[in-house]
Amino acid sequence: MRVLVVEDEPDLLASIARALRDEGYAVDTAADGEDGLFKAESWEYDAIVLDLMLPAVDGWEILRRLRHANKTVPVLILTARDAVADRVRGLDSGADDYLTKPFDLAELLARIRALVRRHVGHARSTIEIGDMVLDLRARTVTRGGRVIPLTPREYALVEYLALHRGKVVSRTELYDHLFGEDDDTLSNLLDVHVSNIRKKLGHDAIQTRRGHGYLME
Amino acid sequence: MSWVPRSLRWRLQLWYAAWLAVVLAAFSSTAYSLVRHNRWRHVDEEIERRFAALTAVLRPAVPGRPPFRPGRPDVPRPGPPKPYSPRDTHEPPPNPDGRPPPEAGAHLRGPHVEAPPNWLPTAALDALELSLFKTRRTESAFYYVLFGPGGNILRSSPDAPAVNPPPTSDHFRDQVRQLDRRREHVRRLWAGFTLAVGKFVDADLTELERLRWVLAAAASGVWLLGVVGGAWLTGRMIRPVERIVSTAQQIASGDLSARVPVTEAESELGRLAVTLNTTFDRLCETLARQVRFTADASHELRTPVAVLLSQTESILARERTAEDYREALEACRRAARRLRHLVESLLVLARLDAGAKTVERRAVDLDRVVADALELLRPLAQERRLQWELDLRPAKCLGDPEQLFHVAVNLIDNAVHYNRPGGSVRVRTYETQTHTILEVEDTGIGIAQEDLPHIFERFYRADKSRARADGRAGLGLAIVDTIVRAHGGTIEVHSVPNEGSRFTVRFLRAETSAASEDPAVANPELVEHGCNTTLGADNESNGRQSANRK
Repeated sequence: MRVLVVEDEPDLLASIARALRDEGYAVDTAADGEDGLFKAESWEYDAIVLDLMLPAVDGWEILRRLRHANKTVPVLILTARDAVADRVRGLDSGADDYLTKPFDLAELLARIRALVRRHVGHARSTIEIGDMVLDLRARTVTRGGRVIPLTPREYALVEYLALHRGKVVSRTELYDHLFGEDDDTLSNLLDVHVSNIRKKLGHDAIQTRRGHGYLME
Repeated sequence: MSWVPRSLRWRLQLWYAAWLAVVLAAFSSTAYSLVRHNRWRHVDEEIERRFAALTAVLRPAVPGRPPFRPGRPDVPRPGPPKPYSPRDTHEPPPNPDGRPPPEAGAHLRGPHVEAPPNWLPTAALDALELSLFKTRRTESAFYYVLFGPGGNILRSSPDAPAVNPPPTSDHFRDQVRQLDRRREHVRRLWAGFTLAVGKFVDADLTELERLRWVLAAAASGVWLLGVVGGAWLTGRMIRPVERIVSTAQQIASGDLSARVPVTEAESELGRLAVTLNTTFDRLCETLARQVRFTADASHELRTPVAVLLSQTESILARERTAEDYREALEACRRAARRLRHLVESLLVLARLDAGAKTVERRAVDLDRVVADALELLRPLAQERRLQWELDLRPAKCLGDPEQLFHVAVNLIDNAVHYNRPGGSVRVRTYETQTHTILEVEDTGIGIAQEDLPHIFERFYRADKSRARADGRAGLGLAIVDTIVRAHGGTIEVHSVPNEGSRFTVRFLRAETSAASEDPAVANPELVEHGCNTTLGADNESNGRQSANRK
């Protein structure tokens, strides 16, 4: 999952990014509105964490422009403005969630998880495929009641495919959503991950559609 | 007095009704007693007239007539003949049976003297009765009774009632009796003879009673009218008060925008309403400012707290490298410092707000204070490679040195902060004839025109991102402004974007302000009222802007 964090307070930005990376997200950051808007328009993110009071272009404007361009990416507003009017305005402007500072990191992470999940149409926090069960909250995969140890990147790949179950996901899409702007992405890195996952989960876990991408059924 | 109603209106009404009742009662009873008095006097006069007529007839006839003594009430006057007594002057008839008339004084203790009725001037009395004592009681109900010296009745008018005999005491002379339905005058004539003349007063009593009823009815009517009118009037008078009460209740229940409708601004209650409205306005303004300030303050406090929380939570989530820990701790330190700065600024403002009207005022060398501030900020300026351009001439003013130090530090700190690297900060202090002046000028980014009117507002920041990243809350100039105004000074700013800003603070000179005690200085309230922010008029060519505050 790839998340964009737009926040002008550098220390806050750093800690949110670190927490998200710890959770296995690919994280892009923007310290002002201009950068944030550019990134949000350029990439397909799975979620955006947006501050409202931003230099250059404020959060309202970013939100407006995104929705105007028919981007459906889930947006979580993270701001110090706690007035009810601001919350209402934020949600009505197209935001999907609203969290006021100071906040608990655990809550922020849970809300982002929920946003991502709901965006692809999953209300529950577990996904069952055959005898394989993904626990989105605990970030674990079990097969036949046995927990399969996966690296964060591997888990993220499985999760992305599972959330888009039944759909062929292209390699580009996978690259876009699994690797942040700062990650070194070798062209065969994806193949290495897929191969490792097949070793752990069984060869039938991920199917390859040559020339198209990967698929989980 | 629990029975007195609490409502002012009803209390007023009650007192009014009571007072009106007292006044009406007094008036009616006075009127009544006057009429009654007149009526009785009239009756008395009528009785006296008949009495005089009778005595005129009797005097010559009654035996034992004493010599005339003037001034004695019991002696009929010998004056001119009364119209009722045609035989006034005629000689008393001789005793028909030859007996001497009873001696004066002897009748009291001696045996009863049977006055022979034949000496009575019967014919004259008959005539008199016909003319003055008509027998028909309805018309003129007068009667008389003549008692002999022993209390025996010698003669009476035909329809005379049973009149009580007069007292036989020696001293008895005269009596006006008011009996049940009649009024009579009883008077000792002479030689023990007593005459009682009276009148049946049924008609008078009836008339008086009717008068009583009429008066009572009229008074009640007037009282009722008065009370109703009074109720209407007090209702009208009290209505503005009720409007004020309901407005105040509205405000108390949370509708701060409610105001008393003012219909007559000139009346006492109208003026009260206007005054209250003004008070409400000012309170609301203060409250709104307070609410905004609190919201801003909490808003400013949120971000560093969020940094602290998220940094610590994310760093504690798992084992980290020493480098990560150091970074997180440094971030926390920055957040904590920002919190400290904020809290200190808020405290300064709170103290200023609390004590704005009691500024300590003693002679201060402003140039020394500024020098101290410069010394404090020198390392910061060196870090940014800024030049000091100083011209500190002796400048005295009255005030609190610590607060003036705040002013200097904040202004110079701003000049350093918003300067470009390698720029200069020009600080001057000097005195004019009337004022002590501090000027701080920088070669920095300047202030945009749209920001100028707001720079002295609390939490206002021209460039929000930069200010926040630097840990500035936007309170410095607000603190400066508050202090300067509390000292009765003025602050003015000229700014050209990308060239620099110049802040000029003016205080009255120590000697001047001590001597003249300018009211604006003595009372910061006045200054606050007169405060305004004006955009510079010298906008002619280069977009130069200024804002000043009194």
